[in-house]
Amino acid sequence: MNAPQSALLLVGSPKASGSSSESLGTYLLEELEARGLRTRTLHVVKAVRDDAGVEDLLEAVAAADVVVLSFPLYVDCLPAPVIRALELIAQGRAGERAPADAVAGQAGAEIGREQLFAAIAQCGFPEAEHNETALAICREFAEAAGFVWAGGLSMGAGGMVDGRPLREARGMLRSAVRALDLAAAGLAAGRPVTDEAVRLMAKPAFPAFAYRFIANWQWRRELKKQGATAPLDARPFA
Amino acid sequence: MTTPRTALLLDGRVDDDATQALIHDTLAAGMAAAGLAVDDWTLRDEKIAWCAGCFGCWVKTPGVCVHKDGGRDVAARAARADLLVYLTPVTFGGYSSQLKKALDHLIPLKLPDLKKTGPDTRHPQRYDRVHDLLVVGTVPRGQGQGGQARTFRRLVERNCLNLRPAHSATGVIDEGAGAWEVRVAVASLLEQAGVAGAAPAHLQDKEMVA
Repeated sequence: MNAPQSALLLVGSPKASGSSSESLGTYLLEELEARGLRTRTLHVVKAVRDDAGVEDLLEAVAAADVVVLSFPLYVDCLPAPVIRALELIAQGRAGERAPADAVAGQAGAEIGREQLFAAIAQCGFPEAEHNETALAICREFAEAAGFVWAGGLSMGAGGMVDGRPLREARGMLRSAVRALDLAAAGLAAGRPVTDEAVRLMAKPAFPAFAYRFIANWQWRRELKKQGATAPLDARPFA
Repeated sequence: MTTPRTALLLDGRVDDDATQALIHDTLAAGMAAAGLAVDDWTLRDEKIAWCAGCFGCWVKTPGVCVHKDGGRDVAARAARADLLVYLTPVTFGGYSSQLKKALDHLIPLKLPDLKKTGPDTRHPQRYDRVHDLLVVGTVPRGQGQGGQARTFRRLVERNCLNLRPAHSATGVIDEGAGAWEVRVAVASLLEQAGVAGAAPAHLQDKEMVA
């Protein structure tokens, strides 16, 4: 395909701001921008809230040469509002493709251009493998909605990003940064994410046992900080 | 084999597709015939806010969603169910947004702790109750062995690694399947999911035999 001119980041975290998904996606988008692409960011939860948001979402997707979805893993899968957005995008594009097929050479010229779709999945578990099924779903979506699947990056221990700009966390997350640099170089040239980028993104930045120990300590600290109404292991519906 | 006593049917249909309606009715009837008390929940009629990812259900009001809407009821109703049943159109190999808006609210059934379980890290269960799991998805005719169906089955397998059901069953049924096809498939799935006695009674329906 021709070198992409524009990129859209869809932030799939239900958090309004400061999410790890946004941090990872924003870094990739900035790297694409540095390579000359026009960029735009949309938060999926806001976009699917009303008709105007959905219309804006569909227009933004239609206008982008590269679409990147960055999301947290929710119950082995994508968060519900992200699935809703994918349903709407696929429905919208199916509606566009039908007349393009019927009137070849008119609307089809624009709609028929190749658009890349890539995804970044991160989870709170130390193992990146938990994201595999969610990324498979992204791939199925891309194919169903007429995108060229450009690959998925899978990251474990997403809590280590903690919503910080990735440029501030380079030391600890250097493999992830390198993976995103490689992905940006490829996507900017119209190529899919490489196996090396996938490998680097999934590379543990921290030993799993240490991550679990720290995370479990942090949950208890947060329980106190929030003034919880019950113990951590309360069973209100037993 | 122990027969579950209660079932929560999370109905994630997004429209009035006739096959899905048939599957729904057949599931509900089969479970009732086996003596289960069925909590039949049509999710598209329910106001359930997206899970906000705030973790308030872990560290502020442990076990309970901090938002007072239908999302809070998901954990309450699921916690008391012996059998969880998901019905959904297979959506890019996963669940519909209608079903997933409820499933995202199952997080309070877990503890926040990270615990090594086999090769992976997982969250321990908050409750002792072991749920059985039955998941039925529909795909366009002829795609039961396609990529989306395979991904769907893998997704349910992953859910099982977390939920650790005593019995589980996954079915992918073609849209446009007939009544007999649906009834045979549902009867088999109910049996796999540990619902003893549902299949024979249900399949002895005179209309079906004819």
